[in-house]
Parts: sequence; C-alpha cells; structure tokens
Amino acid sequence: MTDAPNGPWFTALPPCEALVPCGQGRHTVRWEAGEFRLPGHADPEAELVLAALGGEKARCVEIAEAWGRHVADLTVLGIGPRSPADEIVVSWDDVEVAAQAATSGTGWGLPRHGPMRLASAPTAAIARAAIWRRQYQQEAGQASRRRLDMLSLLALGSGFQIRLIGQVIAAHADRPDEPGEHGHSIRPALQAALAGRIAPVAERWLGIDPDQVAVSLHRGPGWGSVELTGRGQRRRLLVSLPAWWLARVWACGLALAGRHLVVAVERAGWPDARVLAVRAPGAEPVSLSAHGVDGPPGTSGAPHWEI
Amino acid sequence: MDREGAETHLRLLAEAAMRGSLTHTPEPWAPGASRMLVVGHALTAVGALDPVTAEEILTDFNLAVSVRKLHGEPDQGLGRAVTLARWLTQGRAVLHTESFEAGPPEDDAGQARPGRFVPVGLTVPFRAGAISGELCLMSFAQTGTGARFIAAWGVRTPALEPRLGRQHPGLIPFDLFTVTDDRGATYQLDHTPGGDLEWPDEITLRPAPPEDIRWLDIAPPYRQPARVDLRPSGSPGGPGGSGEAGDQAQVSETGLSPGEHLLVMLAERLLTGAPEFPRGGLLAARHAGPRRAMAAGFGDIIAALEAADVLSPLSPVPARLATLCASLDVDGHGIGVPPAHDMPEPWLSLLAHYQRRKPDPVQMRDGYAALAAPLPELDGLRLTLLGLEHTEGSSFVHALVQGQTPDPQPGPLDVDLNFPLSLWLRDSGGRWHLGCPDRWNRGGRESTVRLRLVPSLTRPADWVEVLAGGRSAEARARLPLRWRYPS
Repeated sequence: MTDAPNGPWFTALPPCEALVPCGQGRHTVRWEAGEFRLPGHADPEAELVLAALGGEKARCVEIAEAWGRHVADLTVLGIGPRSPADEIVVSWDDVEVAAQAATSGTGWGLPRHGPMRLASAPTAAIARAAIWRRQYQQEAGQASRRRLDMLSLLALGSGFQIRLIGQVIAAHADRPDEPGEHGHSIRPALQAALAGRIAPVAERWLGIDPDQVAVSLHRGPGWGSVELTGRGQRRRLLVSLPAWWLARVWACGLALAGRHLVVAVERAGWPDARVLAVRAPGAEPVSLSAHGVDGPPGTSGAPHWEI
Repeated sequence: MDREGAETHLRLLAEAAMRGSLTHTPEPWAPGASRMLVVGHALTAVGALDPVTAEEILTDFNLAVSVRKLHGEPDQGLGRAVTLARWLTQGRAVLHTESFEAGPPEDDAGQARPGRFVPVGLTVPFRAGAISGELCLMSFAQTGTGARFIAAWGVRTPALEPRLGRQHPGLIPFDLFTVTDDRGATYQLDHTPGGDLEWPDEITLRPAPPEDIRWLDIAPPYRQPARVDLRPSGSPGGPGGSGEAGDQAQVSETGLSPGEHLLVMLAERLLTGAPEFPRGGLLAARHAGPRRAMAAGFGDIIAALEAADVLSPLSPVPARLATLCASLDVDGHGIGVPPAHDMPEPWLSLLAHYQRRKPDPVQMRDGYAALAAPLPELDGLRLTLLGLEHTEGSSFVHALVQGQTPDPQPGPLDVDLNFPLSLWLRDSGGRWHLGCPDRWNRGGRESTVRLRLVPSLTRPADWVEVLAGGRSAEARARLPLRWRYPS
C-alpha cells in the first residue's frame, strides 16, 4: 500500500490551524495537504536569510523549521499522542520558559563547574577531559534543541500532533526494511507505534484489555488480518496491519467508524471517503462510505467520521 | 540473537507503560520506568541491544511521560503534575558510560604473557615510631604491566587495635621498607597508582624487576630482611613445593546461552544479597524488601531474553531461579515456569546455609593463606587467584583478572558486568562459598579484584576446590591451603 492508488495519505484530512505568539502579536500557522504554512508571513524564506545574517528569527519561522526537522523523526511516534483521549497540553508559556532556559544554559543538563585546578596538570588527562566536555556539550545542546523543538510542536495542539505522526509514518512506511538513522532496522519503532495506537482502538471496538492486543507489521499484499484467539486471560487479539494504516487511517481519524474497525482506505477524500472495515475479528472486510465531520470550532484534532 | 526482537520488546514495553499497564509499582515520576530500565540493562548486557538505542528508547519514554504531566493535577496518584523545570532538566536515561577512562594502551606482547605468580606466605613484622604491625605477603605477581605483592597489613598504633586488612591506608609506612633483589638492585614498595586507596592490599614494586630474579629481600625499618623466594615451586633450590599453586585445573564446557549466563549472574546476585538466617522473624522482614524489589524484574528479564532469542523457552535456568526465589521467601518475581528440583550443588549449599537458624559458634581467627593459582582462560578472561584472607569475620579472595573486561556499565539489578564470571570455593568441610567483587584496581586489560566470600569461612580450610564459571566453560581446581596468623 502506498500513496499511489487513491491519492496522498492526507487526502482524507482537513486543514488545521493554530495561533502562535510571534513578535508582538499572534500569527496563524496552518497545515494543509501535507504542507506546513505560515500565512502570517509573506516571505518566510527571506526572513530566514535575514536571520542567518544576524536578524531575529520569528517564532513562526522557528516552528516551521522545527516541523521540517521532525517530519521524518521516528521519536515523534514515541512521544506523540496514542489516541484522541491522550491529550498532550503544552502552552506557549511553557515553550517560552523552555526557550529561555535553553538560552541561559540552566536546567538543560550542562554541568556548571567552577574552574578546575590541578596541582600538576597531566596533559593527556586535560586533553581527554576537554574532548569529553566538548562532546558532552554538543550532545547536551542537541538534546536541548530536540526537547525545545518537541515542546514547540506539541504546543501547536492535537491536530498538528496527529498530522506530524502521519507525516513521519509517510516518510518511512514504504521502506520499513531500510536502516534508520543509526543503521538499525526501523521496524521496531513502526511496530511499537502501531501497537500503541491500535490497542486503545481495539479496547473501544471490542472492550478488550489493551494488553491482550498483539500487533505485527503486515508485509506483502492485502490489508492484513485481525483475529481473536484464546479465552480469559489467554485471549489475544492478533492484529497485523501495514505501517501505512497509521497515516491513512489512524491519523485521519478513521480507525473506528460505526462500530467497524477500518483497516484500509479505498478512496480517500474529505469529507467523503470510502473505507474497508471489519465488523468483528475474523470477519471479511466490507466497503463502507464514510462522511467526515470537522471538530467543533476551536478544536483542530482528527475529524470524526460517520458511516 | 534477534536484535530486532530485542528492540521491539523494549519499545512494546514502553507502550504498555504509557498505557499505564505497568503501574502496579508505585513510581510517581514515570510509571514503569524502572522495569524498562531493568529490561534495557538486561538486553544490553547480553549484547542484544546496543546501549545507545536502549538509552534513546528510555529517554523518549521519559519525555513522553513527563510531557503528559506538565499540567496534571498535583498528588493525583500516577497523574502527578510535573513541573516544566523537571521536563527541562531530565537528561538521558543512563544505560552506558561514555566517559570511561581506560588505562594507557598496553603492550600487546606484555599482555600475551600470563606472567609469573608465586605464592609467598610470609609475615614481616615492622615498627616505625609509634606504628608497628605486620606485613603479610600472600603472593607475588609479575606480568607485562608490572610487579606487585598481594598482602594484608596488620597495623597497630597506641590508638588502634591491630586487625588485618581494615587499615587506615595513610598509616601504612610503604616508604620505610627497603627491597633488594639477588643482584643488589633496589626497589620501592608503593600503593598501586590509581588504585583503591581504601584497599591497600595490592603493593606495587617499582621499578619492575627483571623476570628472572631469584629472590627479593624485604627489610622493614631497623630489622633484618625477610627473603621472598621467587623461584618456581619444586625447582632445584626453590621452595619446597607447598602445593599452594594447586593441581592442574580441569575444564569442561558449560554451553550456556547469553541469556542463561545472565540469569545465573542474577541468581548469584540474589544469593549474595540474601540476609543471614532469613527465617529469623523480624530480621527476615526487614531484609525482604530489597530482595523482593530485585526479584520483581526477573519475569520481565526472562521475557525480554526470550524475545531477543538469547534464552530458549526450554532452558532449565528460569525454573531454577524460581526455586531460588521460593527458597528465599521472595515472591512477586513474575517467573512464569514452576520451580525445578535440579539445582546446582553450590546453590543448594548456600541455601542450606541461609536456612540454618543459628550462626556457627566457631569464630575463625584473622589469618591469610598464600595462593598463586592461574586458572584456564574463560570467555577471554584469565583469572589468577593470589590469596585468601579472613579478617573481622569476613573472608576474601584476591585475584588478578587479565583480558578485556567489559567497560564499566550498570548491569540489571546491580549485577557486576565487569566480572562476568562465577567464582565458587568449596572448603574442605564441604561448604560452598560464592565470591562477589567488592574492591577493584582497574587497568585496561589487567585488573586486580577482591572478592568477598558469601558465606565467610568459619574454619581454616585445609584446601578449597575452586569452581570458576564462564558462559562457555567452567574450570575446577583443588588448592591446598596453609593458614598463617599474624601475632
């Protein structure tokens, strides 16, 4: 399953917006059709050039950069929301405090020792210590940047949080067997991301304990499988779905529609889509029409769908 | 080994923790984090997961948990609020040590030589002003990295009772001894550079003497020297062959999987962490907590090792671990298999010791026995036993470890991964004693270690049978002992 058959993964997602404190006011930032946009800034690229020359960088531009840095970052899957009930609330005040702390170097793990004095300073030890300290500071700086990025992106609200997860999945779903950043398989991260999000869906669908849901990444043709085995404590819901499910179905708010578990999108679109869904584990999937309803004004999470 | 399975397991555990499925232990900060840490340690210890990946998973988990609590209600159980400061200050989960300062690169040729190991067994009395006592030389060891004595000090001052071993290192008059070899060259005794200052039992000889010297005279201040014969035992004119080097060691394969080996280390950690006389009412109750907390991770570790394919579901070791827990009244271990009956003899011996209700009425005198017993290489490590010491009711084995020990890193449940071997001693009375490292003088590829025996010796054994176990093989040797007692 790829983007190709029925359009990009986000075709069934409406745009969403958030207000960001920027300069003296608040600017709208917008996600639409897979793009992060800054309608409040006429020429963000020119602002970036100015910032590179020493000018102040607008908060909106910083956030757009952070978005760009993390659209393929698998750690987003581990931090971001698992379900609509899993609300992550970060305020812009939180981000402001974090940014100030990052700038001042307080609270970000950098040790603040006084000057070290040795009676007789062994050169090799000093060199080793300097190398270690540089490395530590570099790592600490990267870590603090990453935390600040993450905090800013989370502050955009659940709509952006969910869409970012969709973007990350889209960046990797076609290549689950290719090595990731450190040369390791990315399948564990994708499988855990799927497991963490399908389990609460299964709980709402069947009332099953989320710990009894065993998830694997589906490979090959077809949508996958959903089966129920065992009884009592040994009951297991065995779910095998492709990583794409997270982007095309879950991120679009389609996971559960009309008491059906949606396993694939046949024809993506907003507000009308056609999905493949199963009524019960082991049942053959049926094709259903879904109609999307945007959230109430002021909310920008995943849309609600009705069959 | 299934590395992908190992990483997946840890990530799925994080997901379960995020759902709150691991919340039956009270952890106000990140519920389930300690269980994840234990599993992360276990998977990195067996090499199924690299520490950097494990650390990233744990760090992201901590971030994910804490960001959800930024605006939580205070004191609402697991939903306790987290201040922004805490979010900001949390660093990486510590699973590995990057800043380990290894010793200087060492001469490979020197490392290849096992060295010269000589049992000594010589008590050298000394007096220096108000300080007097005995220097009790257990053994001499010369390797590519230098020469040293393993010794116990008995120091007395007007204010201190003389006792072996437990000394104030600053009182030891290293510099007042003069050392001369058979060619007239002189040497200095000194505390091991960079060594553990609280453990002065390894005495460096500087400069390192030639390897073919026959003896060393050690002269305390204003006294006649005592001669240390360095010729091989049984050689013409050499020491009479006291046998303190022991018989030839017998080696047999163990064929443990990495997971089984780790579980054996955990079992031994549990055995050495058990209190004396656990069935003794209040005493047992007071000590049960730490053991129970330790054992609480066993089930998680076993599941993780199986997921990483480093532990067969048919392995007998988890069942033995379950038996151990049951015998020590430790519940909540989470091991899913029933206890087994085929327990290793040393484990049974130690369990029998714990299940006694009274301490041994006989108290062994402070003393030492010379040893110089190189054991066959096990898993790339050569272990040479260099002395036995009994002081203040505790018994210790001194040993030299040659080979590449793992970089210092925390093991699961406080297991010492830097000493990935088992060392058991069976005394001539038939009791087994387990050695657990408690002091190290670390070098790059050569370290000395003091292992505390659990339980301590209660009688001066005439001999000990040594059982050193690694993952792939174990070595057994019988060593005669001659105990010496300072005045």
